Amino acid sequence: MSQQNGILAIFKHLDTVCHAVEKVKGRTDFKDHEVYSPTSYHEIEHACAFSPSPVRWFTFVGAMTGTVTGFALALLCDWDWPVVVGGKMPGIFSLPAYVVLGFEFTILFGAIATVAGVLVMCRMPNPKVKILDSRLTDDMFGIWVPGAVVDGPQAKLLKEAGAVEIKATR
Amino acid sequence: MSEIKWEKTISDVNNEILVNLERPHKMYYVALAVSVACVLMFLTMVGYHTVVGLGVWTGFAPPTYWLVDITNFVFWVGIGHAGTLISAILFLFRAQWRNTVNRSAEAMTIFAVICAAVFPLIHMGRMYLGAYWALPLPNTNNLWVNFRSPLFWDVCAISTYFTTSLLFWYIGLVPDLASIRDRVSGFKKVVYGLLSFGWRGTARQWHHYETGYGFLAALATPLVLSVHSIVSWDFAMSIQPGWHTTIFPPYFVAGAILSGCAMVYTLLVPIRWMFGLEKFIRADHLEACIKLTLLTSTIVFYAYGIEFFVAWYSGNPYEWAIFQKRAAGPYAFYFWTMVACNCIFPLIWWSKKMRYNMVVSYVVCVLINVGMWFERYNIIISSLIEDFLPGSWGHAEPGLWEIGLTIGSFGLFNMFFLLFCKFFPIVSLSEIKLIMPKPLSGHGKGGH
Repeated sequence: MSQQNGILAIFKHLDTVCHAVEKVKGRTDFKDHEVYSPTSYHEIEHACAFSPSPVRWFTFVGAMTGTVTGFALALLCDWDWPVVVGGKMPGIFSLPAYVVLGFEFTILFGAIATVAGVLVMCRMPNPKVKILDSRLTDDMFGIWVPGAVVDGPQAKLLKEAGAVEIKATR
Repeated sequence: MSEIKWEKTISDVNNEILVNLERPHKMYYVALAVSVACVLMFLTMVGYHTVVGLGVWTGFAPPTYWLVDITNFVFWVGIGHAGTLISAILFLFRAQWRNTVNRSAEAMTIFAVICAAVFPLIHMGRMYLGAYWALPLPNTNNLWVNFRSPLFWDVCAISTYFTTSLLFWYIGLVPDLASIRDRVSGFKKVVYGLLSFGWRGTARQWHHYETGYGFLAALATPLVLSVHSIVSWDFAMSIQPGWHTTIFPPYFVAGAILSGCAMVYTLLVPIRWMFGLEKFIRADHLEACIKLTLLTSTIVFYAYGIEFFVAWYSGNPYEWAIFQKRAAGPYAFYFWTMVACNCIFPLIWWSKKMRYNMVVSYVVCVLINVGMWFERYNIIISSLIEDFLPGSWGHAEPGLWEIGLTIGSFGLFNMFFLLFCKFFPIVSLSEIKLIMPKPLSGHGKGGH
């Protein structure tokens, strides 16, 4: 999306950008707009009113896969070659000892799946990323509107909402 | 911790933290040179004994074969605990001070776990066969590894801990690497661009990122507590007097957090000076770290006491004999050094003035790490030296090889940490902005 032409409105203050986000939310002429922030301010997240992130499903599926894998690894190896250790029967009778394995695999697979989820949902890695303005990862906020022009109505609205600068991006 | 009055705003964060990284104090280079020298010594020693054999070690004889190796292993795993504790558990508790120290604590975790993993590999002699022996691969008789062995649980726990900590650390670094990418030019821009995965900082990205970070914290929290519990089972699952005790898991976890927090302080005080970060890593943040160290010190103090009580109360003469020997036998020096360093010296921190006195606190933190190394040595030597064959009883002390490898591992740890400090933001840029006054227009109040 960031490869399209459009305009970038730069904001200096958190409350101003939140106010602007509330104003443009749901408007057809601001379709597919993106809000930029130097860090994860919850105020912006609330203003954007996102639905819960699907990353949680990646975590859940990963963790459950890990649990099954951990127990299956131990039980299948026992099935392949049952060995009595310290007078203890292998297989299902030794299940408590395999809880450690099940637990560790749950965490391991859950963590890997969570990171994979973040990368997929954030569309990363993205080597072709276009940096709109270097201040957006420093101390400024931004609203990028695809298809808009600097002297168009969207730019006017954003300026009125408190943008300190409007610039064209391509 | 009381509300901190910031002299800086979020506009100063990237400028000051990243510029300082480019111009460290000259002492930085001295510290790096010393660390590299230690690493070269370490590599030479490891190379030599890999070719010649482990017989060159002073203490490589029954019944204490793995004495200093396993001491160093447990010590470094313990150091690695504070990183994920500060990152994950304090994140879930919303302890704001962790936002200034979490990045360096996480890096410390990664490097400490690397140092820890080196020792079991060294101990194998032919370390290139390590994967074959440690991982669940069938041996020449087609036998699988013993899934009921705490040693195998330990392999799984440490591998999971390393991987999860690495992911947690790196995912936290991505937005900061993008900040560096947007400041630099040329080749550096390409490198940091690749490392930052093309992060843009959109609200939607932050939304997914925060969700993922929260879940990683939730997954890492039980992991922190489980890893050192599993390390303690390496000992507690045996029937060796002095080791076979149920108090080991919580006792080891508290000890690990104690040594880890002390190491965070030991590293941060010189680093904030070398890189001019005093305005960001504030005295109040360091004092909060000291409070956590004091808390875990009191838990460890209690564990030492209750361990002795249970040894006596159990009525097991072998158990009680080991404990008497710990306190009054040939290794009493190690025991009392451990008690003094881990339990007595930290008591000074009940005084707020002492908690803010960085020289005193620094010395006590170094002493705690000495004490924690001695604690592991004390636990291992006292039970191993008198095993079930009285004919093999004797006396063992670390020799030059063991001391050399231990110093070398500190060099390895310091070298990794110093290189990290030079090329990555030591303070999490995006997270410190969250605890600083918010950039509000007009009448907005600062703070969080």
